[in-house]
Amino acid sequence: MLSYNFKYELKLLLRSRWIQLLSIILLLLFGFSTFNGLHKIEKRKKDITAAHSEVEENDAMMLKLLDSVEQGMEVSASRWTIPTSPMAVGNYHPRVAAMEPQPLAFMATGQADLFTHYVKPKVSGDDHTLNFAEMTSPVQLLFGSFDLAFVIVYLLPLLIIAFSYNVLSSERESGSLRLLASQPIRIRSWVLQKMGLRFFWLSVIVLYALCIVFFMVSPPLEQVSAFLGLFGLIIAYMLFWFALAFLINLWIGRSAKNAVALLGLWIAFVLLIPSVLNQLGNTLYPIPSRTLMINEMRSLKAEVTKKQDEILDNFLRDHPEYAINDTTQFRGFYHRYMASQRLIKEELAPMINAYEDQLRKQQDWVGIFKWFSPAIIVQESLNQRAGTSTQDYEDYRKQVVSFAGSWREHFMPFLYNNKNFSQKDYPDLPKFQFVPKSFSSLLTVPLLFLISIGLFGLGFFVSTKMEKNGILTTS
Amino acid sequence: MIAKTFLKETKELLRDGRVRIAVAIVFLLLGAATWISARQYKNVNEQYVAAKKAERSIWDNQGEKNPHSAAHYGTYAFKPKYPLSLLDQGVDKYAGTSIFLEAHKRNEAQFSAATDQTGLARFGDLTPDFVLLFIIPLLIILLGYNSFTKEREMGTLTLLKSQGFSSWKWMLGKWMALFLPILLMATALFLVAGVVLSNLKDFGVFNWGSLFAMYLVFVVYYGIFINIVLLISARTKKSGISLVVSLCVWIIACLGAPKAASNIAESKHPYPTRQEFAANVLKDKKEGLDGHNPWSKEAKLLEQEVLLEYGVDSLHQLPFNFDAYRMQKGEEHEAEVYFKHYNYLKDQYSNQSKVYKSLAAISPYLPTRFLSMSIAHTDYSTHWDFADAAEEYRIATQKFLNGNFAENSEYGNWGYRAEAGFWKNLPAFDYNPPELNSTLARNSSNLWLMGIWLITSFGLLFLSTKTI
Repeated sequence: MLSYNFKYELKLLLRSRWIQLLSIILLLLFGFSTFNGLHKIEKRKKDITAAHSEVEENDAMMLKLLDSVEQGMEVSASRWTIPTSPMAVGNYHPRVAAMEPQPLAFMATGQADLFTHYVKPKVSGDDHTLNFAEMTSPVQLLFGSFDLAFVIVYLLPLLIIAFSYNVLSSERESGSLRLLASQPIRIRSWVLQKMGLRFFWLSVIVLYALCIVFFMVSPPLEQVSAFLGLFGLIIAYMLFWFALAFLINLWIGRSAKNAVALLGLWIAFVLLIPSVLNQLGNTLYPIPSRTLMINEMRSLKAEVTKKQDEILDNFLRDHPEYAINDTTQFRGFYHRYMASQRLIKEELAPMINAYEDQLRKQQDWVGIFKWFSPAIIVQESLNQRAGTSTQDYEDYRKQVVSFAGSWREHFMPFLYNNKNFSQKDYPDLPKFQFVPKSFSSLLTVPLLFLISIGLFGLGFFVSTKMEKNGILTTS
Repeated sequence: MIAKTFLKETKELLRDGRVRIAVAIVFLLLGAATWISARQYKNVNEQYVAAKKAERSIWDNQGEKNPHSAAHYGTYAFKPKYPLSLLDQGVDKYAGTSIFLEAHKRNEAQFSAATDQTGLARFGDLTPDFVLLFIIPLLIILLGYNSFTKEREMGTLTLLKSQGFSSWKWMLGKWMALFLPILLMATALFLVAGVVLSNLKDFGVFNWGSLFAMYLVFVVYYGIFINIVLLISARTKKSGISLVVSLCVWIIACLGAPKAASNIAESKHPYPTRQEFAANVLKDKKEGLDGHNPWSKEAKLLEQEVLLEYGVDSLHQLPFNFDAYRMQKGEEHEAEVYFKHYNYLKDQYSNQSKVYKSLAAISPYLPTRFLSMSIAHTDYSTHWDFADAAEEYRIATQKFLNGNFAENSEYGNWGYRAEAGFWKNLPAFDYNPPELNSTLARNSSNLWLMGIWLITSFGLLFLSTKTI
């Protein structure tokens, strides 16, 4: 029966042009979204390269200037920008702290349009005011991006719904169900076989489209595992929607009703549950007000400014090494400033951490309740695979802040020992290297498979109950 | 005929359990969305009031200080929320809420809500605009997809035809039966919103006119969707196919087109990155007068000009402090540089808007979205408007401070301190969003687009029912 069903179904799908239509739609969607993703990545790479080359140019000028100064020549630059002063190097010649795109970054825009991919931390200024938000039109952020993740999370389920909402009901409506009932096969196995075949063909098309996408990106061989992981994820997600369609086909009856029910589920899983969870997370773990943070920060700073001399004294008492190594004992603006900045940073730390704590709590909350909606799981997993998830950017931020710290620390001995920066100190300048961390969990795909299989099981259970009432009469 | 068809269709809808459930769900969603938004709105506004007050008292109580130190110390402009943002949040989540106003620098608004949230925030929020823009069109599809197809399927079409019926009256009856429940829902919702908003105290000026304009925009939007859904129902043979096609239209119009538009707009007219922008500004700034650098070529030139103008031969003989004068001139140069670069951003955005408008050809959602955001003052233009007002205030503040410095001290006296009471004389920052009329005038192209959509879709529906 299976082979007969297989042949018949394939013929049916080909004749009704479903397979052709689906192939074309999927290829177009995958192609367009990948093109968009690649375009974004290209811009990101170009921006980072430009930033690096700008720094290189500036460095060449700085070295030239240093050379002139060291040879005792007159230079035309403003007094406070001459790089013999360590603070001038720290402020006017910052390094690029860039977050290079991961190989799969084209797949999911995630938070990539919201956050910047490179910053240049300086010695002065505060770490928490480093602006990590990218300059984008908020309209673009509101609408989001037409990326592969959108096609997979939002559109693929709709295609599945359109493809399978009337598998059983159309037979009933056209009257062929009675003929089928006379065949030696249980209705639910027959529906399952039909669903399975549709699932199989759609998987083949998706695999094919995905291969083309990866061919477009021209991957090195090491991406085979990434490819398989991605394919597994998509298949698991598709299986979930086919399982739902199977359930609805058995449960409800008429085509239009099936379509409405499936669509309702789509809205619930893809649109409603994520937004409700987000809002609940925000209500349960509210992020403290940023405007009030500004107020607090400013009163603290005003206080600290008044006590700058005292702070510097305390600082030097804690760091006797600076007092010993320096013969001139000159104390200027930056000596006071850097000492107070250190104090401000320490004082503000609990407040800044509160933001991170709340965000982490929200993240944990999402981590638990994401199992309510496979759409969230898949979106999150795609973002993680692409290296554009919230955690990735948080990690990048942390790496930058720690780099900013070491950049500042690097100049401290120069400053407090009143030592000039010279050409031979140049190679020792700290450099930033982004170390990507993988946040994707191996458990996601198997668990998603389990959920889908559970749904199929439920379908069988339901249909056994219904068979007692007679499947032909239900409508 | 119109009335009879209308009555029959309405009865059918009322008898259908699906419809009752769907309407109940929509009301439930709307209720939840409004409740959540109202809470958030109140919260944000309380924070705004507190922050504004605290910031002003920090500014007023600076004590004795050099005016230029105060300029560097700076102050903040906070963006208020407006009553209609309760109905349409627009881009508020993605736009910053506070601008730091300091000497020599125009800053971007910072701290948008989205940067402080998890990735889930990108799925969207359960807000009234979500229900109004996405869910009610879906409800229209659900109510109307089989309006014509059922007549075919049940064979009543043949009966009707044999009666010699007037097809346009028949169509109009069906149209009314679909439009009236939607109109009732929208009216109820906007009335409730109006009553709630006019009872909220201290939260900006609520304007019934704006609410009514927004209501009209949505009614037209629903009219367009009703036309489309009925048109599809009239042209297809089976209910199932009609439903699927209508859904495809919904997906393209509400989900696909905006995202595609955003991608196309970005790749055609990209913004510079934040760092690039800063570097470009810095480059231009260097080419002009730097208020802090008396040794530059531009500073020397200014010096000579001023000496010549006052007919004196040393800066000490000037009736004001030249340091402060130079500072002010530098400030003016810098303001010009920022003006130029921000105008470039605005140009890029207005080019992007053209992309959105051209894609409105396949999506009535786009003009509706832009109009509704504009009326609610939660759109990008209002944000620009606010940023521009803040910049104007910043420039005025610098002039105020440098003026005090110049008048009350002589050249070379950097030790001058303004007295503690001086800061109170700075007028407070006050921003008023554009009036409804100017908002609508600015959005005239979107109004046109919606009008064209409404008329064209209705015309097509009319023609296709003639040949049914």
